[in-house]
Amino acid sequence: MKKNDTGPDGGRTQVLPPPPPTPQGRPPAGPRRRSRRASSENRAAFAFLTPWLIGMLVFTLGPMLFSLYLAFTRYDLSGAPEWVGFANFERMFTTDPRYLDSVSVTLTYVAWSVPLLLAVSLGLAMLLNRGLRFLTGYRALFYLPSLIGGSVAVAALWRQIFGEEGIVNKALALVGIEHTSWIGDPDSALYTIVILQVWTFGSAMVIFLAGLRQVPQELYDAASVDGAGALRRFRSVTLPMLSPLIFFNLLLSVVNAFQAFTSAYVVSNGSGGPSDSTLFYTLYLYEQGFAQLNMGYAAAMAWVLVLGLALFTGCLFLSSRYWVHYGDER
Amino acid sequence: MQARGRGPRRAGARRVVAGSLAVLCAAAVAACGQRLPDHSPEELGGQGEITGDIRLSWWGSGTRNERTNAVADIFEADHPGVRVSRETADFGNYFKRLNVQGAGRNMPCVTQLQARTLGDFTARDVLLPLDPMIESGAIDVSDIPDAVLDTGRGADGKLYMLPTGAAYDALLVNETLAREADAPLPEPGYDWDDYIDFLSQAADGLPEGIPATSLRGGLPNFFIAYVQGLGEEMFSGDALGFSEELLIGYWEMWEEIRARGLANSPTANAEEPPSPEASYVASGDVLSDNRPGNALTPIQGTLDGQGQGHRMTSLPLPSGPAGSGNVLIASGLSIPRNCDNVPTAAAFIDFWANDPRSGDTYASDNGAVTNTTLLRRQLDDPDLPDLKKRELALYQRIVADDPPNVVYPPGYLAVFESAFTRAYQDVAFGHQTVPEAVDTFFAEANAGLAR
Amino acid sequence: MSTTSAPPRPRRLLFGNRPTRSRLLRGLAKHSVMIVTLTLMLYPLLWMFGASLRPDNQVFNTLGLWTGDLTWDNYADGWAGGGQLNFSRFFFNSLTITVLSIVGNLIACALTAYAFARLEFRFKKPLFALVIGTLLLPYHVTLVPQYILFNQLDWVGTVLPLVVPKFMATDAFFIFLMVQFIRALPPSLDDAARLDGCGHWGIFWRVVIPLSVPALGTTALFTFINTWNDFLGPMLYLTEPDAWTVSQGLATFLDATGQSAYGSLFAMSTLSLVPVLAFFIAAQKLLVEGIATSGLK
Repeated sequence: MKKNDTGPDGGRTQVLPPPPPTPQGRPPAGPRRRSRRASSENRAAFAFLTPWLIGMLVFTLGPMLFSLYLAFTRYDLSGAPEWVGFANFERMFTTDPRYLDSVSVTLTYVAWSVPLLLAVSLGLAMLLNRGLRFLTGYRALFYLPSLIGGSVAVAALWRQIFGEEGIVNKALALVGIEHTSWIGDPDSALYTIVILQVWTFGSAMVIFLAGLRQVPQELYDAASVDGAGALRRFRSVTLPMLSPLIFFNLLLSVVNAFQAFTSAYVVSNGSGGPSDSTLFYTLYLYEQGFAQLNMGYAAAMAWVLVLGLALFTGCLFLSSRYWVHYGDER
Repeated sequence: MQARGRGPRRAGARRVVAGSLAVLCAAAVAACGQRLPDHSPEELGGQGEITGDIRLSWWGSGTRNERTNAVADIFEADHPGVRVSRETADFGNYFKRLNVQGAGRNMPCVTQLQARTLGDFTARDVLLPLDPMIESGAIDVSDIPDAVLDTGRGADGKLYMLPTGAAYDALLVNETLAREADAPLPEPGYDWDDYIDFLSQAADGLPEGIPATSLRGGLPNFFIAYVQGLGEEMFSGDALGFSEELLIGYWEMWEEIRARGLANSPTANAEEPPSPEASYVASGDVLSDNRPGNALTPIQGTLDGQGQGHRMTSLPLPSGPAGSGNVLIASGLSIPRNCDNVPTAAAFIDFWANDPRSGDTYASDNGAVTNTTLLRRQLDDPDLPDLKKRELALYQRIVADDPPNVVYPPGYLAVFESAFTRAYQDVAFGHQTVPEAVDTFFAEANAGLAR
Repeated sequence: MSTTSAPPRPRRLLFGNRPTRSRLLRGLAKHSVMIVTLTLMLYPLLWMFGASLRPDNQVFNTLGLWTGDLTWDNYADGWAGGGQLNFSRFFFNSLTITVLSIVGNLIACALTAYAFARLEFRFKKPLFALVIGTLLLPYHVTLVPQYILFNQLDWVGTVLPLVVPKFMATDAFFIFLMVQFIRALPPSLDDAARLDGCGHWGIFWRVVIPLSVPALGTTALFTFINTWNDFLGPMLYLTEPDAWTVSQGLATFLDATGQSAYGSLFAMSTLSLVPVLAFFIAAQKLLVEGIATSGLK
C-alpha cells in the first residue's frame, strides 16, 4: 500500500508542465511525457493491484495450475497422481457417451436460458426503473426468488409446481389437458431447470437497473423532443448506454449457464436424472471427481470447458468493439 | 488501448514471475508432501493414554444428530481429558466431504462408514486395520455375531470398520389399503411369483389412481435380494458376478409388472423425493414399496398426518430358490491412517459398541444395534416405541435366516448404483430395450468398477 | 470517437405532456401486469411460507397456500435445530462471515477494478485475461488443491478459508463488474480532479468511489447473497456445529437415510430469506437512487 503515497506525486509532476491535458486532448502527449506518466501509472497500478496479485498467486494460480497438471493424470484423491498423458482427453471424445450427452444437455440449456434470462431481466429492469408508484416495493418482491438460490428447499418447491400433482398440471386439468410430471419426464425436465434459472433473474436485473440509473435523463428528453418513439428511444439511447452492462450480463450468463450446477444438483438430487436429461457438464464433472473419484478426468473436463469458454469470450470481447460503448472512449 | 512504451520495468516483471514460480513450487510440495503420523505398535494396538481431542463424523439429520451428540457427551464425561469434536452432514454430502478430507489427509479420527462405501476407502488404503486393537483388548467384539462383524472386512480379510448398526431393506405395505382391496399380505417365505400375485390381486381392489407398488426395477437393493434368492453372486472381485441373462430376466419381470399396470409411472417415479416421509407410500399414493426398515417410523408419521388412519407394516423381501433374499447393510466406525490419537479413537469405538448407556441413548437410530446384549436391552425396554420394536424384531427374523454377506467393490455407490438406476430408467422411458440397457449397464459398470 | 448514443440536438417542442387520463389508465394497466406477474412468480415462496405454518406431517397435503390448522411449531422446532445448538448461533455465524466477506470484496475488488479500468500499465491485457480466465474454470476442480493448501496452513475449522481470499479479490466476477461500471464513468471527471492536484489515490477515493456507489452496492448485495447461500465452502471448512452457517443448518433437516423435517426446513428457509431481503431493501437506495443525485451528467 505504501506506493499509493507516490501516486499523487507522480500525478502532480505530470500535471505541472503546461499545457494541462484537456478532456478532448487527443493524441494524449509526446512520447517522452507519455513514458514518464506511464511509469508513474505503472507503479500506481501495481500498488492498486497488490491484494489481487497476492490472492492470485497464493489462492488461485497454484490450485489452477495444479488442476491443469491433474488433467494429465489419474488421481483418486489419495496417493500421488499418476501421469497418463492425453488419455483423459481421448476418453472424453471416444469411449464416454455420457460426456457427449452432458455437452449436448448443457448447450441446449445455454441456448434457452441465456436469451430468456437477458430478455426478462432487461424488460423488468426497464419496467421497474421509473415512472411507477411503489417501485421500491415491486423491486424487492421481484428480487425475492433470487434470494433463495440453490437452497435445499427449492427441490421440494419445484415439485409442487412441475410435479405430477403440481400446480401446473392442476391448471392444465382445468382446461382439460392431462399431462405427466414435468420434472420426471426426460423430455421436459431440462426446461423446468431453464425456468428455475429465469425465475432467479434478479441479479441480472439489479445490474441493469443500476446501469439504467446511469443513463442521463437528458438523453431521453432530447430524444423525445426529437420526436423519437419509445422503441426508437430504446434503440438509440438505452441500448448503447447500457451496452457495457449488457456485455457483462451476456458474458456472465453464458459462463454461468455453462457452469450451471446448483439448480440441477438440487432438483435432480445430484443424479442428473431422469435418464441423464439434466446431466449438466459440471454435474457430470462433479460426479466423476467427487463420487467416482476420477479427479484427473474431472480436471481434464474442466480444462476442456475453459478452452471452449475462452474461445467464446475471446470472440465476444472482439465483437464488443463494434457494439459496446464505454464512457471512457473519446 | 494502444501499446505503451516498453520501459525499464523488465526487472519488476521478472521478479513477479520468479515469485509466482516460488509460490507454485510451495503449493506443489504442500500437495504431495503431506505427512501421515508414524504410529508405534502400541498405538496401532489402541494402547495409550485416553486423552486429548478426537473428531467424530457421521451422516444423518434431526434425531440422529441429537443422539450421537448425547453418546459423545457421555464419553466425554467418562474421560475428563477428552474432547470429541463433531462433524455431521447428510448422506450424499457426507461422503463427498470425506473424499476431500481424505485428499487432505484430514479425515476425522472416528469416521462413520457403510459397508457399501467401505471399499472406496480400503482400496485407497486410508484406514487402519482394527484387528490389532481387538487382539490387545482395546476394542471388544465378543458380543457382535461373526456374520455381522465380517461386513466390516476389506478384500484382504482385515477388519477396517467395526459394524455398529445393521440395516436391511423391507417391503413396506399399507395394511389398511391392502385389506380394503381384499389382498392378503404375502405369507412368510414368499417368493417373487407370490409377490407379483399379491400386487395383481391388490390392483383389482385398489381405488383408481393408487398403484400396487412404486416402480422399483431400478432400485439396486431390490435386485440384490433377487440375486441372493437365486444363490448367485453380486460381484466377483471388481467385476459383476451375475450374468447378463439374469438381469435381462429381472428387468423383463419389472416391465411385465409395469405393463400390467401394477406400478406407478416412470415419470412419477423419477420425481419422487429421496426422503421417506415425502415418498408416495407415505402419502398413501401407492400400496407398497421397498424401503430401508428404519423408514417405517417416518412413513407412518406422514400417514398419520393424512388423518385417514392408515397403518404401515414391513415384511422381509421376497425369497428365491436359494432362500431368503434379504441382506444386511452394516454401518460402522473406522479409524483413518491420518489419526494422531488412535488410543482415544479406539476407546470411543469400544464405548460406542459395548456400553449399555451408548446403546440405550442411540437406540438403533441407524440400523439395529449389532451388539446382541444391547439389542436385547432395547427390545426389553418398555419405553421403546412400538414401531421401533417392530423394526428391530424384523431385523432379528432376518438375522435368524443367516443372510449372505455381499462384499461391495470400490465405486459401488457411485458407479454401480447410479448406472443401474439410469439403465432401468432408459428401459422404462422406452429409450432402450431391455437387452440393450443390460449391455450398456454391463459395459459401464465393469469399466467403472475396474478402475 | 464520439459514442453513437450522443443525443441529437434539441429541436422545437412539438408535444406537451400526454393527457392525464390516459396516464392514469396506463398506470393502472402497468400495476395490474405487475401484480399478476408477481403472483405467479411468488407462488412457490408463498406456498413455502404456507407450508411452514402447517403441522410437520401435513406439509405436503395441499397445493393451496393456507389450510385450517396453523401452527408456529415448525418455527420453534426448527429454531431449536436439534441438539445443543440453535439457529441463533447459525445466523450469527452466517452474518459474521457475510459481513467480513462484504468488507473484503468491496475493498479488494474496488482497488483492483480501478487499476484495470482507469490506469495504463504493463501486462494489463494478459493480467485482465487472467481475471476473466479464473471466471471460466469450474470451481470444483480447484476445490481439492485449495483444501490441501488451507489444511497445510492449518486454517481448516476456521472462517479464514472463506474470508481471507475475499480480501485478496479472488472473486473475478466482482472485479469485472466494477470494471464495467467504472469504465462507464466519463473520464473528464478524472481529468478535472487531476487538475485539482489529485493523484491516482485521490481520484480513486474522491471521484471514482463516490460515483461507483451503485456498483459497490451491487457488489455488497451479491456478496451477501452468495455468502449467505454458500453451502459447499462452509461444509468443507466449518465442520463443527458451533461454526455452522444457516445453509448448513438447513441441510440437516433433510437426510435420505433417516428422518427429515420438511416443516422446519420451510420455516427456517423462510426466516433465512429475511436478512437478505432486509439488506436488499436497505441497499436499494444505494443501488438505484444513489447515482441520480450524484450529479453525473
